[in-house]
Amino acid sequence: MTNVYVHGIGMTQFGTFVDKSMKELLLEACIKALEDAGNPKVDAVYVGNFMGGAIYNQEILGAIVANELGLGFIPTAKVEGACASGGIALRQGIMGILSGEYETVLVAGVEKMKHASTSEVTQAINAAMDNDSNEKQAGLTFPGFFGVLANRYFYETGASKKHLAMVALKNREHALNNPLAQFQKPATLDEIMNARIITNPLGLFDCSPMTDGAAALVISKKKSGVHIRSSAQSSGPTQMQDADDLLSIPAIRESGRLAYEKAGVGPEDIDVVEIHDCFSMTEVLAIEELGFFNKREGWKAVEEGRTKSTGDKPVNTSGGLLSRGHPIGATGIAQIYHLVRQLRGTAPNQVDGARLALAQNLGGTGSYSTVHILERV
Amino acid sequence: MKIFKCNSCDYVSVSSKYTCPQCRTGKLEAQEVSPIGTVFSFTDIHIAPAEFADIAPYTIALIQLDEANVKVTARMDDPVQIGDKADLDKMENGAYLYTKL
Repeated sequence: MTNVYVHGIGMTQFGTFVDKSMKELLLEACIKALEDAGNPKVDAVYVGNFMGGAIYNQEILGAIVANELGLGFIPTAKVEGACASGGIALRQGIMGILSGEYETVLVAGVEKMKHASTSEVTQAINAAMDNDSNEKQAGLTFPGFFGVLANRYFYETGASKKHLAMVALKNREHALNNPLAQFQKPATLDEIMNARIITNPLGLFDCSPMTDGAAALVISKKKSGVHIRSSAQSSGPTQMQDADDLLSIPAIRESGRLAYEKAGVGPEDIDVVEIHDCFSMTEVLAIEELGFFNKREGWKAVEEGRTKSTGDKPVNTSGGLLSRGHPIGATGIAQIYHLVRQLRGTAPNQVDGARLALAQNLGGTGSYSTVHILERV
Repeated sequence: MKIFKCNSCDYVSVSSKYTCPQCRTGKLEAQEVSPIGTVFSFTDIHIAPAEFADIAPYTIALIQLDEANVKVTARMDDPVQIGDKADLDKMENGAYLYTKL
């Protein structure tokens, strides 16, 4: 259990913003979160960001936030953890409060990707692999890693490409009701199944997109209506060939186990979930690793509609990374943004009476995972 | 093929580590085994990073070695299926290039 509460949330729309700079997106989200929190005194800032230096030539994001918002000479930092940068930034903020050093912290996440070419962004994303390895030299990519997992998953379970398409369709349908989501055009199962192949068996709709966007939170040890019951983080193998069980992502499993243990709850208690569906296959594995469904049976839950917003374990009611969008450093914060709205009862695809919510944020090919459990109090 | 085996438990890997990640006390020692193995899983990469774009689409396979509990990531010379037998053709720029048997 933590003594940390969420006081304010802010988020830009996710999508393509050629006319907005990374700083403008970041500040827009931060200002919304500060206003939502009633403009408290902020003691520290953490910003999750992955490729600002690599493709936007901009670092020092923490100091930029403090300076532009006039927060004073407070401590700030940028936090990098690949696609889990946002989740890890939140965890740093929570630990700053838990340590007694801070009362109130502004945590943000941002990424600006759409100005760069696909090959530049792909190159930058590949920095989240172990590039000094035979695996990278063979030509493995991020979608490739999850493609290898998917083919084995099909082989061992009886699941097929149709089940992955059902994940993508569900998240697209959720995004249609979320005005901040990147994709708001309906898609059909046929369209998803027959889309251009990225890496067999994953097609275009099975892969999260490039996105511009930012999200922010104000957290504090002062009480509010949303309590962060637990925060947990784990690391895992940085290479596919080191996996004990190819169909398991230990960082997700272990961060989930720790988060449940610290919160004193189990998967059966969670009412609404945001998880890291960087690929449709990842969502299927994550719902198994987090204990919502049995190992090798996540695909059956998808087929039965149990992970829809109307199902018994609603997953990615925001549209997820696949359709809400995946501005890498902002993703982990956007998950919390959406879950706080669920707990406040004001979310798109609102889950009736949601009280306990779980967010899981993944970085690399299973290298980092954070899990946060939130409670309406 | 060179692999690494723990000197105090049964952990083996294609890459070396400072300490055995399984028993946390043993040290890994190099050993030679046959590179022949079976395709455990695979993918065909159509959208490739710039440095591999000229050979796309190409096949990446995770090979389970016959002689040790070790998997190795390799690039194949042809498309494969799970269960296919494969052998090391050569090392090139730090990558294992395998051929289907």
